[in-house]
Amino acid sequence: MLETVAQAVINGLLIGGIYALVSIGVTLIFGVVKIVNFAQGEFVMIGMYISFFLANQFGIDPLLSLFVSMPVLFAAGVLIQHFLIRRVLGPNDMPQIFLTFALSLLLLNLALMLFTANYRTVHTSYSDEAFHIAGLYIPVAKLIAFVVAMLLSGLLWLFLHTTDLGKAMRAASQNRDVAMLMGINPNRVFCVALGIALALAGAAGSLLMPFYSAYPFVGQVFVLMAFVAVVLGTLGNVVGALVASLMMGIAESLGVQYVGADSGLIVVFAMLLLTLAFKPTGLGGGRAR
Amino acid sequence: MKEADTDSAGGGAVRTPSRRQSRRKFLIKSGGLLAAGAFGAVPLRGWAADPINIGALYPTTGSMAQIGVGCVAAAKLAIDMVNEAGGIKSLGGAKLNLIISDVQSDTTVTRTETDRLITGNKLSAIHGCYASALTLIASEVAERAKVPLITGSSSDQLNKGRTYTFTPFARASQFARAQLQMSKLVSDTPKVAVIFENTAFGTSTSNGLKEQAPGEGVEIVMFEPYSAGFTDASPLINKVKSSGANTLFSVSYLNDLILIVRTVKQFGLNMPINGGSGGFVIPDFYKNVGKLAEGLQGVAHWNHDVSEDAQKVNVEFKKRTGDFAFEYAGGLVAQTFMLADALERAASADPQKVREALSTLDVSSGYAAMAPGGKVKFGPDGKNIYGHPVGVQWQNGDLASIFPKEDARAPMMKT
Repeated sequence: MLETVAQAVINGLLIGGIYALVSIGVTLIFGVVKIVNFAQGEFVMIGMYISFFLANQFGIDPLLSLFVSMPVLFAAGVLIQHFLIRRVLGPNDMPQIFLTFALSLLLLNLALMLFTANYRTVHTSYSDEAFHIAGLYIPVAKLIAFVVAMLLSGLLWLFLHTTDLGKAMRAASQNRDVAMLMGINPNRVFCVALGIALALAGAAGSLLMPFYSAYPFVGQVFVLMAFVAVVLGTLGNVVGALVASLMMGIAESLGVQYVGADSGLIVVFAMLLLTLAFKPTGLGGGRAR
Repeated sequence: MKEADTDSAGGGAVRTPSRRQSRRKFLIKSGGLLAAGAFGAVPLRGWAADPINIGALYPTTGSMAQIGVGCVAAAKLAIDMVNEAGGIKSLGGAKLNLIISDVQSDTTVTRTETDRLITGNKLSAIHGCYASALTLIASEVAERAKVPLITGSSSDQLNKGRTYTFTPFARASQFARAQLQMSKLVSDTPKVAVIFENTAFGTSTSNGLKEQAPGEGVEIVMFEPYSAGFTDASPLINKVKSSGANTLFSVSYLNDLILIVRTVKQFGLNMPINGGSGGFVIPDFYKNVGKLAEGLQGVAHWNHDVSEDAQKVNVEFKKRTGDFAFEYAGGLVAQTFMLADALERAASADPQKVREALSTLDVSSGYAAMAPGGKVKFGPDGKNIYGHPVGVQWQNGDLASIFPKEDARAPMMKT
């Protein structure tokens, strides 16, 4: 009994790490640039395909391809901010919504055209391995993904709190106008924010590849969880998104175990509704940290 | 809309004449026959016999295209085989002409396409659509137009209230029974966990399992729907583990099944998995799952090792497509030969005469008899009275028949 609960918690925590990478990206973009990136899931998908093709063509381990997928998506983020998002930043939200939504549809259909709807999987030596500790099973690939996800989140936190650029980013997210008056170049800050957010999505893709299949719609599965986590953990709050993602992973896992295998998400959404009802600003409090 | 595909893949495919033209041709020829009869000689060999049109309805685009495209390749192979062997001899060596129509994985399109195919061409018979949901519609239209339809689809519904539909292979209800019986190969006291995706496909299949389990002496210890497209199978498998089951039946789409199979392995659960039929017994499954697929069990209405003829078909299909002949592909070749047999005996391309001949079909050798059990004879409901599924297992990247005993071509691999 206790073992089953413990196993469910471990399972939830491990997948929560992946949710965290996606949701941190969404919340970072929202916090800094003040737009909702509907295409975040598609960048996870691109990260997965990068890892898949590197593994398939050159035999590169998906984890090593982090060093390709993250820079590539960072560059993509900078370009998207500079050439697309910058043009629609204004008092009106609609063009921003249309832009990122269109980007999502475009990337999705492009992937369908180029890669077809077939599932692609990568086999690594550790894909099917697991640590057995005290009757509990910890899959190696998911553990690695979780640890790397937490490391990246930690690095991001350090970046935001110790570097000038990071502080400028937080300043821009707290009050854009004052930040500009203090001499912060918003476009530069926004470019880096977009870059980091997309690099995190790419990292999520590469980390998923050893144990999940890539297909054009794969991003949709994760982006839904990411949006819930972002709202749950207070919009724009990086730490909040991280904590909320892990909580959601665990809630989903326990839901599958004790409510029903098709009801895991019910628990997650119940959590979201209750939070919105009693603490509308989210669990992270009203302030972006 | 799409043109009927009259592409000749090395056979006697000719652009189909419109109805009016063929009627004129018919008059000319029947006039010729009368005249020839009057002079006491019928030099049939002098004429090129009219090709016999066979309609083929398959989804080659949309969500079901993966298997649909393979079906079309098999249909072309079958037509070539019949034609190379001399066509229909009782009709002066008439060649079969395949008219392919894409039903786009959509029930509405299936209805209009079937209608269009029948009214636009002079068909002797139709085969299709592999997916039961589509075949049910096509068979309704064919029934009304009085054109025989032969299909590998497994829905039991196809044998109700229809006189023009023929199903030479095992029915859905038989699949469930075979799966349950297979669980007894592994354990004398099978405790089965059934997990299924919670839409029509998963629920109907799993209900069949649940209903028949008591009769087969199989205990179902867990019966759990899940929503397809999950991110992580571990919570589900954790539940399977705590249920104490010793066999797992998974009614799943490909992506979920890959996750399930991997997770079972990671959890160190040493339980046989039976994945049923459909997407589980096609070459793509192995390509995706790889070595982990080894030892997994399933059920199929046809397998390429059921007979020597089937092996020959498999070799030829592999040459053309690069993959082994999966159940629908091989079954389709057999179906085409059943049609050829019926045409031969009917000595007519008239669809109603073909139906008559199909209803009295009784074969136990040759390509037409390529079915588990090796015999085909239709009952009044269009069901092959000898029809039954084979239990298969993935062994060395190939599907081997392991159940029932008389159809087994390889011993069961212990996992």
